Parts: sequence; structure tokens; C-alpha cells
Amino acid sequence: MARNLTTIAVLSGLILVMVVATNLLGVRLFDRLAINLCISLVLVLGLQVFMGNSGILSFAHIGFMGIGAYTTAVLTIPVRMKGMSLPDLYPIVAGIELSPYVAILVGGLTAAAVAAVVSYPLMRLSDAAAVITSFALLVVLHTVMTHWSEVTNGPRTLFGLPRATDLNLAAGTAILAIVAAVAFKESRAGLLLRSSRDDEVAAGAMGAHIPRLRWQAFILSALFAGIGGALWGHFITSFSPKAFFLKETFVILGMLVIGGASTVTGAVFGAIIVTVTFESLRALEAGINQAKIFSEQVIGLTEIVLALAMIVVLVLRPGGLFATQEIGALLWRRARKKEDR
Amino acid sequence: MPDDSLRIIDVSVEFSGLRALDGVSLAVSPGEILGLIGPNGSGKTTLVNAITGQVPIASGRILRGTTDLTGNSPREVSLCGVARSFQVVRLFNNLTVTENIEAAALAHGDGRRASRDKARSLLAKFGLEARAEDMALGLSYGDKRRVEISRALAAEPKYLLLDEPAAGMNEAETAALLSILAELPRTNDLGLLIIDHDMSLIMRLCDRLHVLASGRTIAEGDKDSVRSNPLVIEAYLGTGAETAHA
Repeated sequence: MARNLTTIAVLSGLILVMVVATNLLGVRLFDRLAINLCISLVLVLGLQVFMGNSGILSFAHIGFMGIGAYTTAVLTIPVRMKGMSLPDLYPIVAGIELSPYVAILVGGLTAAAVAAVVSYPLMRLSDAAAVITSFALLVVLHTVMTHWSEVTNGPRTLFGLPRATDLNLAAGTAILAIVAAVAFKESRAGLLLRSSRDDEVAAGAMGAHIPRLRWQAFILSALFAGIGGALWGHFITSFSPKAFFLKETFVILGMLVIGGASTVTGAVFGAIIVTVTFESLRALEAGINQAKIFSEQVIGLTEIVLALAMIVVLVLRPGGLFATQEIGALLWRRARKKEDR
Repeated sequence: MPDDSLRIIDVSVEFSGLRALDGVSLAVSPGEILGLIGPNGSGKTTLVNAITGQVPIASGRILRGTTDLTGNSPREVSLCGVARSFQVVRLFNNLTVTENIEAAALAHGDGRRASRDKARSLLAKFGLEARAEDMALGLSYGDKRRVEISRALAAEPKYLLLDEPAAGMNEAETAALLSILAELPRTNDLGLLIIDHDMSLIMRLCDRLHVLASGRTIAEGDKDSVRSNPLVIEAYLGTGAETAHA
């Protein structure tokens, strides 16, 4: 228990330090970076809840982020703007204009509800079959987003969301996500799910209802994704279905894999490391292009570095930077060793 | 008192046309230890897998008391009070020793605190306290076996099926395990079915023996009658390799 509280304290502490530092600095650029990081944290922690505890790679996560974003968009775009943003919107919902804070929650719940329905038959699958079906699920969700013009404005950019996500909201949500991810991992369902991750046969023989456990984790995971997507929607205020597909999936997976999927600590550090590296590389890329060092424009540096980082980490530390133990457990172990001396 | 024994009635198992088990029947009662022996490939592990639902059976029935376990999933069998260990140890490698045992108690329906207490007392019973917070992955082979048996016991089974529980243990470890196993039927009121190649362990531990060869029962009964059965001597005890192994 003390270890789990230490883990929560250290990880939330990192976020709080970042919030305080950003407020003191008062630079707009850092504000944007910090909000982006907090939203990524919510998404990565959501993926960790399912993938880390069940051991099953899921590609569908970003699809549920999209559900959250579009749900909150439909519910919050001001009524007078809906005629332009979503001209074909069904009349029943056209008159709705909720507070963004309520709508963000509804976005999360909608993603969770969709996950509950579509994922149930998939949870019996393991290994490659589970990975491929989750990929298929992402493609289905993406296709629906691209073609359901009434609700999403089709492949075109949807605009008009009120800007509601500030650093405090994003950071608060990220801290809640940390607490929820640790609590789930240590809960009855979390422990049984982790048993099935390590040995499915033995967990079944012990009486664990593996498909149901996976299902619970998947729903919780989609709730995080939906809330993360809605937060992002109210930060960026306009987006198209392209935002919820392969590139985003790769970034979020990269964060989790580099940090270590099995631990909440890994998810948090992975998100921080990748976000900071990404922003630095983007700045570097812009600098190089502005200084016209090369005759051609340099593009794609960020993706290539992320891909290489993923390969290097997987070769050297297949479980990621924090493969098995949370930061709390590591600190307690170190403290005990010092006492022993 | 109603008969609560675990009965396997005329069970056959086929793997793509090959008969791995052919009409085997046996029964274990609460409080007794039954030894299941036979040469390699005789179907001992397959029988345990059939009882616990890991492999489907082609014909026959499996009953605990009046409850029909035939065709149940491993999970359902486990919830009916039949626990097992595996020939190749299957621990949850990235969980601590305590968590391994806690998980089984939780799956059985215990609460958080009850599971932790149960894990603690089982660790004490098996002399694993020093390993409580270690990851299961790093344990010695003997410790892994002990954790696996503790985990099976955490579900408070009425029947425990142990597939080579002493494999890979040294003599001292085997002796310690033997004294714990010998007590179990009485202290936990459970029926124990043990597969092992260590004949001295089997002879010291078991009340009755059941001998399989090529998927068929060739002998059953008390130790002495089985030991003197010519079929058993020919199929199992007589072969040089097996006695050397024992």
C-alpha cells in the first residue's frame, strides 16, 4: 500500500512540478507543450490499463479517442455555429449545447459504452489474433468517422469547439488517470488480469474469468481514451478523422513501449520522454529548415527518431524502461537496502 | 454422509485419432492420497488435463459427488473445488510470490485482506517467507514448485491434483515437501492425487496406487498388491531406465 502511494505521489509530483514551473515561466510555448503532455498521459495511461495488465497489444485505442472527441464536439459546438460546422447534423442533437466539462465526461462514457459493445466478442482472443482484430477495429472506427458526415463532417475538418482545456484541467485529469491506473492495477481484477498476462493456462485453471477481466480493462481503457480525446478536442478546437489514425496510434504505442507497458511508471515516463524529445526535434527541424542548411526541406525527423528509439529500447530492454517494478517499489527497495547496511 | 468423491468413469481422450487414454476409471475420496504412476507417455498428465478441462474428453464422465464436471472449462472445474499443479511449473513470473498466491485466493472469491492473510500463512507453511516480495521469475526450481502448490491450496480445493510436485527438488526439499503433503488430506480435508516418478516418494506418501500404461489401467489397489503385480513390474518397475530414474 505504502509503495502504491509512493508511486502515485512521485508521478503526480512530476506533473505538479511541471504545472508550477510552466505557470512561473509564463511562456505560451511551454503552456502548449505541457497541455499536450498531460493529454498524452491520459491516453497512454488508458492504453496501459488494458495492454499493460492483459499483455495484449491494442491498436484500437486511438479510435476511442476519436469517439470522445467527436462526441464532445457534437454536444458543445455552439448552436448558431452548428449550421456551418455540421450542416447535416440530426435535428434531435442540433439544439444541444452542453458545458464542455460535462461533455468531456459524456465523451469518455460514450467511448466506454461503444467499447463495451464492440469488444466483448474479441476478448476471448489472444496473441496475434487479438492484435489483428484490434487493428481491424481501429480501421472500422476510422472508416465510420470518415464517412458519417452527419456527425463528423466526414473527412473534412470539423471546427467550432469551444476552447476549454487549460493546463489545470489537463493536469488534474492526468493525475486522476495516474491514480485510477494504479488503483486498477492493484485491484482484484487488475491482479487477476496480470496473472493471465503471465500465464493464461494457469490463470484459467485457477478460476480467473479471463475474457470478462479483459473486457473490464478494455472498457476502462476506452473511458480514458474518450476523455483524453475530448480534452484534446477542446484544446485544439478543430480536427479531422486523420487525427485519430495510424500516426497517433504509433506515437501513443511508442510512448508506452519505450516507458514499459507493464507499469504505470513506465507509461508516465514514456509519455514525458517522447513528448519532450518530439518537441525538441520539431524545434530542431524548424531551425534546420529556416537556416537552409540543406537544399531540401527536412521532414519526418520526429517519426524516424521515435521509430529508432522504439527499436533500440526493445532490443536493449524488451520490457521498456520500467519493465516490472513501479517507481514506488524501487524506492522502497532502495530504502530497505540502505537500512540493511 | 453423501459420497463426495472425485470419480473418473470410463474416460477416453483422443488426439487426432490417437488414443491417449482408453476407458480409464478411478476415484479419489476426501482424506486419501492416490498415487498415479506409469511409464513416460502412459497418459498420466493427460488424465489430469482431462479432469481439469484442459483437454476435451472423447467419452466418459467426470463427477465430483453428484456434480457433473464433464466438459466443464478449467475455470469451472477449479470453482468446483478441484485444483492442480503443472508438470512444467506455470507461475505468474512478473508477479511477486505473495501476489501469485493472493491471485488464486481472489479468483476463489476471497476479499483483498483475506487473500493477503491467506498468502501469508501459506508462505509460512511452506517456508517461503523470505521470498514473499521477490518476483516469481527469479526463484529456484524447488521454490517455484512450493509456490505453485501454495497457489493451488489458496483456492481451498477439495481435490488437489499434483503433477510431479517434487521434480527438480533436492533430497532435503523433497523430504520437507513430503511431510507437508502427508498432512494435507487430514488438515485440509482434501483428496490428493499425485503423479511422480520418484517411487520412494510415492510409496511413502500414498495409500493407494493407480497404474497406467499406454493409456490403459493395468493395475490399481494398495501399494503391496500393485508392487507385486507382474503387469506393473513388466510395464513400469521392471524397465531399467525407470527404476534408475526412481
